[in-house]
Amino acid sequence: MAERYSSFAPGGTSWLLQRITAAFLIGVLAFHFFQLHFVTHAFEVELAGTQARMENPAYYLTMVSFLIAAAFHGVNGVYNALVNQGIEGTQKTALKWGLTAAGIVLVVQGIRVANAMAGVSIV
Amino acid sequence: MSQSYNRGLVEDFGRWREFSAGMWAWIFHKFTGWVLIGYLFTHIAVLSTAMEGAASYNSTIQGLEGLLMIRVLEVGLLAVAVFHILNGIRLLMVDLGIGLESQDKSFYASLFVTALIVVASVPTFLGGGL
Amino acid sequence: MSTQKQKVETEEKETTEQKPSAERRLEKKREKERERAEQVEADEKADFEENAIQIKVFRYDPEVAAKQEPRFDDFHVPFEKGMTVLDALIYARDHYDSSLTFRHSCRQAVCGSDAFFVNGRQRLGCKTQLGELEEPVRIEPLPHQDVVKDLVVDMEHFYDQMHAVEPYFQSEDTPEASELEEQRQTRENREKIKMSSRCIWCGACMSSCNIAAGDNEYLGPAAINKAYKFAMDDREEEELKQHRLNILEQEHGVWRCQTQFSCTEVCPKDIPLTEHIQELKREAVKNNLKFW
Repeated sequence: MAERYSSFAPGGTSWLLQRITAAFLIGVLAFHFFQLHFVTHAFEVELAGTQARMENPAYYLTMVSFLIAAAFHGVNGVYNALVNQGIEGTQKTALKWGLTAAGIVLVVQGIRVANAMAGVSIV
Repeated sequence: MSQSYNRGLVEDFGRWREFSAGMWAWIFHKFTGWVLIGYLFTHIAVLSTAMEGAASYNSTIQGLEGLLMIRVLEVGLLAVAVFHILNGIRLLMVDLGIGLESQDKSFYASLFVTALIVVASVPTFLGGGL
Repeated sequence: MSTQKQKVETEEKETTEQKPSAERRLEKKREKERERAEQVEADEKADFEENAIQIKVFRYDPEVAAKQEPRFDDFHVPFEKGMTVLDALIYARDHYDSSLTFRHSCRQAVCGSDAFFVNGRQRLGCKTQLGELEEPVRIEPLPHQDVVKDLVVDMEHFYDQMHAVEPYFQSEDTPEASELEEQRQTRENREKIKMSSRCIWCGACMSSCNIAAGDNEYLGPAAINKAYKFAMDDREEEELKQHRLNILEQEHGVWRCQTQFSCTEVCPKDIPLTEHIQELKREAVKNNLKFW
């Protein structure tokens, strides 16, 4: 039963990263909600205001890290929920690659959007 | 041994009245998790209108915000996110080995605080621009 | 006294019928005994009806036509103070239906044979007081496992997971024969593994875990707890601990635990299973960080 080929324990790393991204997301998501519903009201959002925020490098970096952390946490969460339900074999491999692809697409598109908002030319 | 009888998983959710706090926490955390990841994809899609310029972005967002349905769904999103955060904090504590004796009380506490926060935020979410 | 009067009357009657007096006396005696016996029976029946507890037991037998579709049988069992669920089942089997099948042995919560699903919760039959349960008492086989017959479930999968963690002391480091030393364990270390050593392999925890139900390869709380007992034992060498951690940190090892706590709640020996699994997760993480 103990088939380990490297010191890299697949279960262990993603478990730890899930917790680390969780801790980060608690702060950033709460901040994001406050920003977009209490500081600025959602119905008042305009591209101009968004650009003003995104042009701040610190804010931009925070938002991009937010995106990457959330994408990992969410995709990893879905993967683990399905493994718990007993998915195995080909289905599992297909799921793993499908989710990885979806996660990458999400992050890439998100960064393109962020760049458009911040006025960065790499789109 | 002749064939055995497999009662399957279905019997589980029929017994929902017998579920313990820890089990409810697991179910809700999973459910809210699925909602949030679904929302994340939708959110990035909506925000992608920014790549088409101000007119597209503004009209999409303000148009959506003008719908009562969207406002109500936003309150739901708040509830889901707040619960996932609070129960997530509870799970981080469990992972660190803190407060295992009162894990069921901390679940009820997160439900309660979620309710408080949601109720307190309803005026802001439903007010203005509707 | 009325009896005397009666005697006189019947005696008179009987003298006309010409019966010997000895026989008459014996007849009367038997009659009275019969009356007394009937009275006692009537009393017991009334008692029984007041104090009987109704149990509903899951029945299934693939070899009997009437029981191929599972059903619930009702038994009314006379209540005695201090009676357990196991006592009730044994009474039902001995007095009503000798085909009622269930595992049991020690009746003192050390063999782990009689774990059932009683009124919606995994419990040991011998350790559950009948008087504390809501009537009618529903007794079913453990959930998430195949039923062989009535209350007997297939425990092979559970045993497979237990054996997968190598649940035996493996230290090769025996001291020199000339020194005649023992492998000593400190009091603190013994305290640490004390709770984890109480496992009686009853299977209640694994049957209460939703992840164990869904994921067939999950080791399960009992197996992980067993591994904990040996991994945390100071008398085994470091390489052995590494070897044990290797088994535990696979994808379907400790990481599958979602801290549902059901295992801890149903364990009849009060073992803090979730706590032990959490500790092993932390151990595994710390262990892997060393390699980076």
